[in-house]
Amino acid sequence: MILSGKTAVITGCLQGIGRATMDVFAQNGANIFACCQYETEEFTNHIKELSKENQVEIIPIYFDLMDDASIKQAAREIQKDKKSIDVLVNIAGMTQDALFQMVTMDQMKTVFQVNYFSQILFSQYIIKPMLRSGSGSVINISSISALDGNPGQLVYASSKGAMIAATKTMSAELAPKGIRVNAVAPGVIDTAMTAIVPPEAMDRLMSKSNIKRVGMPTEVANVIMYLASDLSSFVTGQTIRVDGGIG
Amino acid sequence: MILEGKNVIITGTNRGIGRAMLEEFAKNGANIWAHARVGTPEFFEDINSVAEKYHVEIRPLCFELTDYEAMKAAVKTIMSSKIPVDALINNAGITYNALFQMSSIDQLRNQFEVNFISVFIFTQYIVKLMTRQKKGSIVNITSSAAFDGNSGKSVYGATKAAVVAMTDSIAAELGANGIRANCIAPGITETEMLATMPEAVVAEAKATADMRRGGKPSEIAKTAVFLASDLSSYVTGQTIRVDGGIK
Repeated sequence: MILSGKTAVITGCLQGIGRATMDVFAQNGANIFACCQYETEEFTNHIKELSKENQVEIIPIYFDLMDDASIKQAAREIQKDKKSIDVLVNIAGMTQDALFQMVTMDQMKTVFQVNYFSQILFSQYIIKPMLRSGSGSVINISSISALDGNPGQLVYASSKGAMIAATKTMSAELAPKGIRVNAVAPGVIDTAMTAIVPPEAMDRLMSKSNIKRVGMPTEVANVIMYLASDLSSFVTGQTIRVDGGIG
Repeated sequence: MILEGKNVIITGTNRGIGRAMLEEFAKNGANIWAHARVGTPEFFEDINSVAEKYHVEIRPLCFELTDYEAMKAAVKTIMSSKIPVDALINNAGITYNALFQMSSIDQLRNQFEVNFISVFIFTQYIVKLMTRQKKGSIVNITSSAAFDGNSGKSVYGATKAAVVAMTDSIAAELGANGIRANCIAPGITETEMLATMPEAVVAEAKATADMRRGGKPSEIAKTAVFLASDLSSYVTGQTIRVDGGIK
């Protein structure tokens, strides 16, 4: 199996792309620290089942990306057994859509806290064991909005653009030490986040798409798995669009 | 295995990156049409030993890329076999290293003929088959030289940029038919082709790459496996740089 024996930290496991990534990683043999904002009964049951079915260890970690202290606490919890960490996937994120002229300072601060500041802070902690072992793979989730621009997504696109710049810089600093860093830029994926896209905007996006359909969360998860695995051993500093060919 | 039961065509499998692809695709369960310019006894012996080692079928496909009659005959062989083609990997190519002012029109024509026109024509044939199947993945090997502007690579880089443009158009035209098309752009890769470049240039490129080394042919091959497989089902019209973060 592609990820046999690897240990991965994945954020945003409650739903969407994060959930699909957790599932795909478990099915491919990875042990997982499954990070979410809060606990639900459904989630607890799901990971119990997933772990049993695939004979992997899945440890839930709950914390709030708005709260720096809780991020630090979570990182400490993950590190308490001094397990080696092979993969970090930063998926958790949010959007607050508003036109450029309407964006508020609060929206900017909130979205950047969740989509950028917290990602860097959490990565700083989780990369420590990777530096000790001299190997690892980090995957950040960006968006095609960051690359193409999308009306109403000024803050979201900017925060996801910041993650591309972070990815390149992290790669330049960390790849010499054996840690590869890449980003994935999903297009329109069938998740709660895209359920709010207005129908006319969806039609416009689909008419530009080569594959002419929305993507499934699993299809993004599979690309993340490629970047996490040895299949991509010479790929670093890259942003891979998983968008069915939009734009 | 990622490519269990899939049938693929790979060009230029007698050496370098293509030879590594032969091994990686077989290792991952694919049956292979293995192309080489010339069907030497060594080549037949080699592909047979790989087929035996991984318990897959490997059939030789020998023709000069610029001999379009021979190419047509090879395509006929594939067609009459009734074996579906899940993926086409256009890997074979040539390079000369020559400064812009020193590049002759013969070099220009020859490199475009092999690296672009023959790839275009061969892909036209295979796409016909894939269109009938309503499914297929095309993987074209381009080069970091198509993007970065390397000294001595004005012709080679231009041929490889042409391949990228062609690939993007194929993705746009054929996505609705279930056909994906992507490129891989290797950077410095440890093959015979590397010997055509000045040593100092190669050393400098390795020293400034994020990973501080050149790539192994197998590392390019593994990304080709990913793009040929269903793991990349929502990836099309993309170029993945497999270059260790070259600057």
